[in-house]
Amino acid sequence: MDLQSSLQVVLPEIILAVAGVAMLMIAAFVGDKASRLVSIVGVSVLTAVAIITAFQMTGDTLGREAFGGQIRADAFAGFAKILAIVAAIVTLVVSPAFFERVAKMRAEFPILIVFAVLGMSIMVSARDLISFYVGLELNSLAAYVMASFLRDDDRSTEAGVKYFVLGGLASGILLFGMSLLYGFSGGTSYEAVRLAGMDGGSIGYVFGLTFVLVGLAFKISAVPFHMWTPDVYEGAPTPTTGFFATAPKVAAVAVLARITVEAFGSQLTAWQPIVITAALLSILWGALGAIGQTNIKRLLAYSSINNIGFLLIGLATGTLAGVSAMLVYLAIYVAMVAGSFVAVMMLKDADGMPVEDIDAIKGLSKTRPMIALALMMLMFSLAGIPPLFGFWGKFVVFQAAVQADLIILAAIGIAASVIGAYYYIKIVKLMYFDEPADVITGKSETSYGVVLAICALVISPLGYLLTIPLGDWADRAAAALTAFV
Amino acid sequence: MIHTIAFYLFAAMVIASAMMVIFARNPVHSVMWLILSFFNAAGLMVLVGAEFIAMLLVIVYVGAVAVLFLFVVMMLDIDYAEMRAGFMRNMPLGLLIALILLAEIVLGIGAYRTGAIELGTPDGTGAAPLGASNIEAIGSLMFTRYVFLFEAAGIILLVAMIGAIVLTHLGSGPARGQQNVSRQNRRRPEEATRNVTPEIGKGIEL
Amino acid sequence: MVDLSQYLPILLFLGIAVVLSTAFVFLPMGVSRLTGSHKPDAEKLSEYECGFPAFEDSRGRFDVRFYLVAISFIIFDLEASFLFPWAVSLEYTGWTGWGAMMVFLAILGLGLAYEWKKGALDWE
Repeated sequence: MDLQSSLQVVLPEIILAVAGVAMLMIAAFVGDKASRLVSIVGVSVLTAVAIITAFQMTGDTLGREAFGGQIRADAFAGFAKILAIVAAIVTLVVSPAFFERVAKMRAEFPILIVFAVLGMSIMVSARDLISFYVGLELNSLAAYVMASFLRDDDRSTEAGVKYFVLGGLASGILLFGMSLLYGFSGGTSYEAVRLAGMDGGSIGYVFGLTFVLVGLAFKISAVPFHMWTPDVYEGAPTPTTGFFATAPKVAAVAVLARITVEAFGSQLTAWQPIVITAALLSILWGALGAIGQTNIKRLLAYSSINNIGFLLIGLATGTLAGVSAMLVYLAIYVAMVAGSFVAVMMLKDADGMPVEDIDAIKGLSKTRPMIALALMMLMFSLAGIPPLFGFWGKFVVFQAAVQADLIILAAIGIAASVIGAYYYIKIVKLMYFDEPADVITGKSETSYGVVLAICALVISPLGYLLTIPLGDWADRAAAALTAFV
Repeated sequence: MIHTIAFYLFAAMVIASAMMVIFARNPVHSVMWLILSFFNAAGLMVLVGAEFIAMLLVIVYVGAVAVLFLFVVMMLDIDYAEMRAGFMRNMPLGLLIALILLAEIVLGIGAYRTGAIELGTPDGTGAAPLGASNIEAIGSLMFTRYVFLFEAAGIILLVAMIGAIVLTHLGSGPARGQQNVSRQNRRRPEEATRNVTPEIGKGIEL
Repeated sequence: MVDLSQYLPILLFLGIAVVLSTAFVFLPMGVSRLTGSHKPDAEKLSEYECGFPAFEDSRGRFDVRFYLVAISFIIFDLEASFLFPWAVSLEYTGWTGWGAMMVFLAILGLGLAYEWKKGALDWE
């Protein structure tokens, strides 16, 4: 193993780690006064890492392996990394204003985000069960702390504890599955696991595979392992919730795709039914559970469960086109969800305190027409209504499913997305056709407006200009998964 | 012979003390039983030749994790009676899960005995130096092949540290009860007292 | 099978320790029963003279600061346990291993600096 070439491959991770520690030192020696500064440093470091990753995807390090194949910087990892970094940057931009309002901004928040991104980036480029697990734990540990960041707030603490306990359980299940896989395949690398599965795989192998999928289903909150999601999303501070719904989800979905294709590629018949079941249940439960919710964050939690279902449809095909469609959907999903959470953060009452009650947005179109417009676009896009970009994501996923002869799955998915459209449209109805509730009167920061405008622009019909580069990029990323070669 | 006796001794003790963890009335006693259970597990590790793991169990689990458990148990205000009631309520579910796990173990061992389960053979990528002791073998892999993950583990520990401070540190308040002896000795009467001649009928400003 | 003959003295030591400690606990109990001084009575356990019934449970709740200490202890304990295999395997790992441990120590050392600066090590 050539250490130097390995270090070149993991350059983004090294930068993230060094930057995280440096930010920690600023936080230690300057104190919480420096939280804005630390956030700015965090944003610039993440931007730099995204650019380096993009360069890596074109340079000669592309597809090179580090540390004996534990890490691989390929186009797939690059795609997921950049997407997660963009989501993390959005969180970093909006979080200082949110926490400063309750005088709880501390310099540790951006630091935790940087370390979480480091974990995700290890996780998505991992080609070994051990490096995957280490990345996942780094990401999760930072996430648990972020969930209970408002430690004097009961709901935030509760969210943190719930997330921690269930996340710990999920990690345990995952680890158990991994140890079974190791025992029955004799190696921890995805390659070794794949080779062991070639000749049908033993019962123990299938058990291990199932446990790994269950553990990952917890992390991406796919039904039936979603029960923590609404509570955690509701209780955690809104920037944290927005982060949870985007960056870690991107990483976990990417890892799921990588492990199913690269490690279990030879066992399609074993994992495909599991993924299909989880996809259908998530779509249905996400759509049905959202009905009757009165808290916007809870509603968005169900919406994210619903979206995970659509993402899993792409994965369930097990084909290159399916994974590519899933990545396209993932990118659009990040824009939609990040935009929705920023819009929710802009809903404030006269004292500037956040409003989460769904009735408060009644008549928003008359009091805050711009937010209402953006929110309407986001909701229509999440519902997959044609002129908006969200439609494209659903379209490519269903197309891939039909191509892979999963016509029934696609049909049920389309039918369920109609149910899902109900509550998205209900929000639009509340905003546009009800009498103003006059609750949301607080002003919000320009930075929020800018982020929201960018997200709205991406998901607007203008977003279709992106279809070709995005599709290209996703194709290249999906093709990088070795099992397709 | 002695090997077998030692195995059964340690194994029986692990199981018995694990049962006591659950059945002890007082959570603090549960933690104590847990410590005993860790000790015996360490003994089992020595028996299979994993000396380093045995040492880790004693140093990390007995020495640190159990202490943390103890602190947490003592920090919480636990209503023992209510906890008992919950235990009885959840008993059927717990028994069911225990039965399922037992069935799995029995089936697994049975299948393994009959040769239905074939364990994988190591792919040789992580081979340790021959003839080295357990701890040397672990070290020689951890700091070469797995060096990246080792550093990542360091970062995980760092995040744990940050998390603990973010969530529990109450911030340092004003320092109390601190003396600066030299400053006290340097103090002169002129600094501490002041002479004033107040007019009659008027007070002085302090 | 692993050669465990070196552990025999430890096993013997453990056995003797168990026997002796059991004897020290149960022997006095048995003796007191046999000699007749074992007469339990509720009154013997109750408060008398100037004593008064306890107001609350004697087991007070611990300060959350203990938790912070315990976490720091675990972290540095783990760090120390990584040092053992590093120290004995340097002949195999060479400068890579040495550098790796230095980076690891630097990460946790900076973490310690952070804790210190934040005042997490001060009790007051």
